[in-house]
Amino acid sequence: MLLFQSILLGLLLGGLYALLASGLTLYFGIMRVVMIAHSAFLILAAYLAWWMHDRIGVDPLLSMVVTVPLFFAAGVGLQRLLLTRLRPATLTMMSVLLTFAIALTVEGLLGYAFTGTQRRVQLGYSSASFEIFGARIAVVKLIAFVLAVIALSGLYVLMKRTRFGWALRATIQHRDAARLLGIDTERVAGYGFGIGLATAAVGGTALSLDTTIYPSLHWHWIGPLMAIIVVGGLGSVPGAAAAAMVLGMAQSLLQIPMGTTWAQTVFYVALFATLAFRPQGFFGGRLAQRF
Amino acid sequence: MPINSFRAISTATAVFALALGTAGCSGDDQGSSGSSDPIVVGISLPLTGDFSEPGKGVQEGYEAWAKVVNDKGGLLGRQVELKILDDQSNADRVVADYEQLIGKDQVDLVVGPFSTRLVVPSARVAEEYDMLFVEPAGAAKEVFEQGFKNLFYAAPAVANDHYNHLAEHILALPADQRPKTAAYAAMDDPFAQGTAYGLKEKLEAGGVKTVVNEVYPPNTTDFSGIAAKVAAAKADVLVGGSQYQDGVNLIVALQQLGYQPKLAAFSTAPTNPEFAKAIGNKTTGILSPTGYSQDAPYESNKEFVEKFKAQFGKAPEEDQANGYTTGQVVAAAVTAAGCAEQGECQKKLVDWLHSNKVDTVVGPLSWDQTGKPQGAHMIQQWVDNDIKIVLPADVKEADFVYPKPAW
Repeated sequence: MLLFQSILLGLLLGGLYALLASGLTLYFGIMRVVMIAHSAFLILAAYLAWWMHDRIGVDPLLSMVVTVPLFFAAGVGLQRLLLTRLRPATLTMMSVLLTFAIALTVEGLLGYAFTGTQRRVQLGYSSASFEIFGARIAVVKLIAFVLAVIALSGLYVLMKRTRFGWALRATIQHRDAARLLGIDTERVAGYGFGIGLATAAVGGTALSLDTTIYPSLHWHWIGPLMAIIVVGGLGSVPGAAAAAMVLGMAQSLLQIPMGTTWAQTVFYVALFATLAFRPQGFFGGRLAQRF
Repeated sequence: MPINSFRAISTATAVFALALGTAGCSGDDQGSSGSSDPIVVGISLPLTGDFSEPGKGVQEGYEAWAKVVNDKGGLLGRQVELKILDDQSNADRVVADYEQLIGKDQVDLVVGPFSTRLVVPSARVAEEYDMLFVEPAGAAKEVFEQGFKNLFYAAPAVANDHYNHLAEHILALPADQRPKTAAYAAMDDPFAQGTAYGLKEKLEAGGVKTVVNEVYPPNTTDFSGIAAKVAAAKADVLVGGSQYQDGVNLIVALQQLGYQPKLAAFSTAPTNPEFAKAIGNKTTGILSPTGYSQDAPYESNKEFVEKFKAQFGKAPEEDQANGYTTGQVVAAAVTAAGCAEQGECQKKLVDWLHSNKVDTVVGPLSWDQTGKPQGAHMIQQWVDNDIKIVLPADVKEADFVYPKPAW
């Protein structure tokens, strides 16, 4: 019974991880940028969802109507105004510093605006759940999972079926070749970054449904998310999703025999194993080989 | 901005102290032997840095105590004067501060800073100078393992003893009502674990079987796995060694899994003002130990709450109460020993505290030879959307609810 319950929880957790990690892998694919501030933006979106629910009384899910376009614009702005100014030769390394600074800024502003008090969105269905074959599924976790499925499928369709998606993938695969084909890679990269940040808006909203949030919470998330995108193959959204599901499930199941502390190390064990034996990642593209 | 102004103040203080020092050399200053001189109490507090929030709280407690004492005519007919230095939450700085206060400024008494990390080094200085050292916040085990002879912790209990009243109450239940199994989930943190394991030890000794014993790191973001284990074990008693967000996340995760314990106790989290809202007001029956309550019926507490509100325009919390309690303990010793200066007198103060009980805003306090308080925390329970004292019986505001209603 505990096993079945844990499998369900692992599935739901993996879905959430996949959503939270998808933007992170996208930035790296498009621009070779390590975006430390991604989780800070997740928490920012969660705060905005909480704030709108607390002040205006709208369901956190509706806050996405505002936050998704807002984050998209912020992402485009961030890429065009800051990241493109880094020198290509040191881009990856310097982007760590730059986005670290952005993360600190977001955290500081959150603390300034909302204080350090820990907040939680309180909904009528916060603790509601339903039974399935003797195990229980929490409504909020299921909503977060569905949100992840919708967002990731949307992203997949966008990447595979639209002209913009082709241009984006071309830019990811080979920037110079894409430019030779007439793709405005600068603009595409800007929009791609915007889409990455827009996933943070969706992810943050999903997170806010079932988490107590506080400004420094993002530091607890960035480590596992980084591990997920490396294991999944840097730059590959399906790879990140697959890695997230596997690691989420592994964490949930390992918790039964090993306890919480050791179950968390699964991310880092997987990270080390990937770097040691298969640096290009287990599920995704061959990007990492070029470094 | 605050850092700058603190820097300016400390520079000014340093210049001033230097000037005083050189002036003192030429004169024939005998310090504080005159009977009309104020009693100077030297304190170093973390007013900036990591512990600045609680540090300022303790400072307010000390200031409230000095004002209450002075309004009543002082101690031994002398006014009390606080000399507070900022140690920036830095262990080296706190040592230098107490060296200066005792050696150079020749203060009459010293009291402690905030938290174990600063209490241990500063207590060592006080010990070297044979000064009495009452401290408001150093509850970790290490404090009492250093062989200090002059140290007293001015609070009801150390972490492991917080739940003593609850343990007694549970084990005194008739056999057919007594819970049989218990689940423990504690954050990997000395304080949080200390509270949960103190209760665990006592319940295990009383025959309550431990069915789950989980430790989670402070950065845990997902509590559904722990909740699944606890729910699967169907434990009668749930004990959370929590701080805040972990306690809330765990409770919600347990509610989602439909787990209903007969008794649920969490450290710290349930006394947080945000708690009820965070778990959807399904709070009835949740227990928490507390070192201080504004509603506790101890004699001096009413006066403290009233005067504190008048002075600071807000109600006192635990940090403020700890500072105030420290002052009360020192005052009781000074009054009984009839002296307050460095030298022989300090020994008298220490000896008196070792063999006497002091009434304070957190109840009567007494200590063992290591300075560890001999009490336990009050137990509060959520009843009708309010948290009330239920144990021990002589200070209770409401009856203990058992078994806990469903959440």
